[in-house]
Amino acid sequence: MTSLKRPQGSDQLAQNISNKVYVRSTRSGKVQKIVREVYLRTDIPCSSNLCRACLSQAPRNAVNEALPFVLSARPAGTKSYPQGHYLVPDTNALLNAMDLFEQSSSFYDVIILQTVLEELKNRSLPLYNRLVGLTKSEDKRFYVFFNEFRLETYINREANETVNDRNDRAVRQAVKWYGEHLALTKAVQIPAVVMLSDDRDNLRKAKAQGLHASSLADYVSELEDGDRLLDMIAESQSQAQGGFKQASQQPLYPEYYTSSRMMTGVKAGLLHQGIFNVSPYNYLEGSIKVPAFPKPLLILGRENINRSIDGDVVVVELLPQDQWKSPSTKIIEEDTITKNENADTEERQDFVSDKERKALQEEVKRTQKASGENQLQPTAKVVGVVKRNWRQYVGHIDPSTASKGPSQGRRLDSVFLIPMDKKIPKIRLRTRQVSELLGKRLLVTVDSWDRDSRHPVGHLVRSLGELETKAAETEALLLEWDVQYRPFPKTVLDCLPKEGHNWRVPESKEDPGWRDREDLRDLLICSIDPPGCQDIDDALHARLLPNGNYEVGVHIADVSHFVKPANAMDTEASIRGTTVYLVDKRIDMLPMLLGTDLCSLKPYVERFAFTVIWEVDENADVVNVRFTKSVIKSREAFSYEQAQLRIDDESQQDDLTKGMRMLLMLSKKLKKKRMDAGALSLSSPEIKVHMESESSDPIDVKTKELLDTNSLVEEFMLFANVSVAAKIYEAFPQTAILRRHGAPPKTNFDELADQLRIKRGLELRTDSSKALADSLDKCVDEKDPFFNTLVRIMATRCMMSAEYFCSGTQSYPEFRHYGLASEIYTHFTSPIRRYADLLAHRQLAAAIGYEAVHPSVRSRGRLEAVCKNINVRHRNAQMAGRASIAYYVGQALKGKVAEEEAFVMKIFSNGFVVLVPRFGIEGLIRLRDLADPEPESEYDAETYTLTTKGDKAVKVELFQKVVVRVHDDKDERTGKRGVKMELVSA
Amino acid sequence: MPLDTSTYSLALLRIDGRRWNDLRRLHAQIHTQDAADGSSYLEMGHTKVMCVVTGPAEPQAGQQKRGTGGGGQAGGQKDGASIVVNVVVAGFSSVDRKRRGRNDRRIQEMEITIQKALAANLHVHLFPHSTITVSLHVLSQDGSLLAALINATTLALIDAGIPMTDYITACTAGSTSSYAAGDDSADPLLDLNTQEEQELPYLTVATLGDSDKVAVLVCESRVQVSRLEGMLVVGVDGCRQMRRLLDGIVRQKGSKMIKEGAVQRSDMMAVSLED
Repeated sequence: MTSLKRPQGSDQLAQNISNKVYVRSTRSGKVQKIVREVYLRTDIPCSSNLCRACLSQAPRNAVNEALPFVLSARPAGTKSYPQGHYLVPDTNALLNAMDLFEQSSSFYDVIILQTVLEELKNRSLPLYNRLVGLTKSEDKRFYVFFNEFRLETYINREANETVNDRNDRAVRQAVKWYGEHLALTKAVQIPAVVMLSDDRDNLRKAKAQGLHASSLADYVSELEDGDRLLDMIAESQSQAQGGFKQASQQPLYPEYYTSSRMMTGVKAGLLHQGIFNVSPYNYLEGSIKVPAFPKPLLILGRENINRSIDGDVVVVELLPQDQWKSPSTKIIEEDTITKNENADTEERQDFVSDKERKALQEEVKRTQKASGENQLQPTAKVVGVVKRNWRQYVGHIDPSTASKGPSQGRRLDSVFLIPMDKKIPKIRLRTRQVSELLGKRLLVTVDSWDRDSRHPVGHLVRSLGELETKAAETEALLLEWDVQYRPFPKTVLDCLPKEGHNWRVPESKEDPGWRDREDLRDLLICSIDPPGCQDIDDALHARLLPNGNYEVGVHIADVSHFVKPANAMDTEASIRGTTVYLVDKRIDMLPMLLGTDLCSLKPYVERFAFTVIWEVDENADVVNVRFTKSVIKSREAFSYEQAQLRIDDESQQDDLTKGMRMLLMLSKKLKKKRMDAGALSLSSPEIKVHMESESSDPIDVKTKELLDTNSLVEEFMLFANVSVAAKIYEAFPQTAILRRHGAPPKTNFDELADQLRIKRGLELRTDSSKALADSLDKCVDEKDPFFNTLVRIMATRCMMSAEYFCSGTQSYPEFRHYGLASEIYTHFTSPIRRYADLLAHRQLAAAIGYEAVHPSVRSRGRLEAVCKNINVRHRNAQMAGRASIAYYVGQALKGKVAEEEAFVMKIFSNGFVVLVPRFGIEGLIRLRDLADPEPESEYDAETYTLTTKGDKAVKVELFQKVVVRVHDDKDERTGKRGVKMELVSA
Repeated sequence: MPLDTSTYSLALLRIDGRRWNDLRRLHAQIHTQDAADGSSYLEMGHTKVMCVVTGPAEPQAGQQKRGTGGGGQAGGQKDGASIVVNVVVAGFSSVDRKRRGRNDRRIQEMEITIQKALAANLHVHLFPHSTITVSLHVLSQDGSLLAALINATTLALIDAGIPMTDYITACTAGSTSSYAAGDDSADPLLDLNTQEEQELPYLTVATLGDSDKVAVLVCESRVQVSRLEGMLVVGVDGCRQMRRLLDGIVRQKGSKMIKEGAVQRSDMMAVSLED
């Protein structure tokens, strides 16, 4: 009988093979046992430039290139390690103080172990990505050592050993090996291999083994700028070390459910999962939209919010029906209620302070009084957080929490940081340099929010500069909205054409650049843009055809000619997603050379373009449409105003002007058709800040004027976008990149419809976009032309936001663009400033057979990821733009006082919100600002009326016109110079 | 869990610690079942298969009609033996216990692929009016399944003493970055495991002996043409390594048999007993 049994030791490879065995559970709850092979090797280099042995056997890739060695032969020394040292941080050290490792003053020559890298990836993906970024930067000299694959450093998990202990042991083993390995090099000065850890047990064991080991704090305090760096160590860890936390403290917040309990609960429909949003007017009220309920669930009070921060993905549990409430009508701001809290002692009189309780209590009374049953909204409490959406926050230190008097020495102080974003709670910060940080814009990270801490704790990342300086404020708002504002890296700039600004359209038509391009240089093309526009995306032409029809062409900058798919520039653009326009600054998506020169359809020069040409009849109905790459020469670049003047000037009878008149005539017909189909004309207050040209200080604010020529350009852009959308969808039914605007749920309009009905007797019909458009047209007030705009602004806020998507992810009826009343839509016309347009260009080029389809524009998974990113970027860019305007409006009003007309948009029981059309800004007027003490008031939710009593008796109604005094004011809470309003007369 | 290929560039190490051109550990045995005409057992990493060859034998009544994989040569009864390949994938062979029936399209395709490769490279004309049945059992799967099946079949056929032109050896080759990444400078990879197969483009190639003659080439994933050549070169090179390994196993077994006296030593034998 033959035996299949393998003889022991017959296989010389066997000792080098180990198995990784672990158990995992799948999303569907199944438990799987996974066995993986691990091949242990002896050719993984130490990557130290001291070591000759490793260099000779360094691994090579398929083209026989070896990776260069990373670690310096003469690393820096410290007091304890004068011979120089290599650092080996463990996972906790990285989790607690990633910011330290990114410092440019120290933390060079760091060995990242594979064990640590993998553990970090499981614990925090953002930190992992930052670490990988560090390992790629050449000057920081971070080396990833794959200790789990090296024979000498691989260890097996022992019986009864926890995974953490095993990993710690693996780290120590690697440190030990490194020490012994470097000793073999016989260099004059052998650097010490220092383990950085905050785990006391691990440190003790390392010292027992005779290894160099140090805690982060000990290590940092020996560095030159140790004091500054100490602040960057995360709070939670220094607590554990200092042990100042009293063990007897009772937890303030309820405990989170276990993840398995949450998972089963969500599956069974008992719990609900969604994104937590905080009300902008009331920091104690949050809402969460879940599929199971048409209206969002309310989450009221600190205890129910249970340590969630705006944007977190949380799991909530419904509260019993007798605790259901209607949304708050009261403004509750954190600073006014928790003003006197002491950051240092965290005295815990009552967890929910009396004031907070009182504020909520009044709410309950009010709802019970009003008790309009149908107004009640289900309430819920947070029972767990699935995913934290913490990012870095910008804010400033609340001066009242900083200890007074000159700070002696380097005392560790606790202070509160007040974030710029009102939805984010105060963050407790411990720092040794309060006096330097006061009055500065700061960037901080939230580390943790424990059950026994009233506020989240964080640590300082860096200071951006003095409050209210232009540089600091601009950087702050770019950071707040996550705009990538760093200069383009060299790899991106390398992708630009070598000729630079001297690039010209090739003269010879034999040049590959001319392949399949139409020569449209004879056409009378012009561009119309806002004044001073440098990145000209689009140009137009029109002419009469012999058969009486019109030929209309829209020419778009051919960016895809310069930005090839999947190169560094393309990747950078896909990350940036969009150009961000601030009042005084533009953060480009593409390098300047392309955006403002080579791609920009400047007048009098030849440029590559992507052209859509229609033949339309006199009713602007399309007879036929075609798409082509082309070469054009724009005859003139007009501003909207110039174009308007030229069209209106009867004496101008040249062909170019005639063409523009044709365009205007056709655009009006297009607009009419669109409006008849139910397109909405919505409003958002648009204003422009005028700057003094020399100092670029803002001097005045004006609302933007709208001319016929604005809508001329807009109509043809929409027209082109729709045509292109249909074409790319036809070519790529699964992967076309499109833009949709979902129909808003009817409930979104409930409140506005109710308000209009009660206050003005107007009916808002929302069954279709057409009905909505018609009923919005009827919302007029003869006395007040602005009333209609006001209603439109408010209606706009009830809408969904439009989004990019990949056609395979939705069914055709879902493609609809509600606001434009178009069945299908995409963005095609601004490839210089939007990445989606660039993708549409590539798809269209493939659809007309101009070039082969690149895999990146037809891989659905990738496109979905891109869509997700550009949707976020697009939104952030808008927000950043608005924030910039708000800042400059504040600056323009500095030292001025103006009395302006305003309209009441929203009423609370203790204040109201007004919109000032002249500045396009909203302001909150609180009753306590009217008089001191706060006048008694009565709020009637049924009729949206707020009446105050006493000597300052006023009656404020919704939609009412009031006069307010506007002046600038530095908001103590956000540290932002903003606009403050006072009621002059109602 | 998606495979993270981003760490490859950090140290040129694959997810299991191999280099780009490393085969996994190969363990193979020949003549594992005394009762069978030819048999073998083969492990490539955690992919474990066994093979039993029956025949050349008189065709059984039912076999011709069923014709699984036999279709290609069924008409050639007069000219040579027909080849029947059966693959059985055990329910316990993958992470999730799953029964795969006889009519599974994937299994059928593998059967046909192996059958065609054999039909072209065995000297079937020596055995007219007969059938060679190859039964393959998959005990454990961890990538490169088709390659392992082909290698095991080769060993079992040698054990059965069926004349063939040369070893048919197979292995898989892939590329270190996914199709969508579009990275033309990606390193090719040899001998993929399941994790890698799920994420990366790969192909299975089988060659004939030491030559560059390709007997089987299967590529089901989408990959840029520019990367194909590199993958194929690495794959063919892997097949050569595989041939050396299999050859070593055959020789080892042969010399052992002579030592044990199971076979008469003759002057014709090329096997040197010293190794």
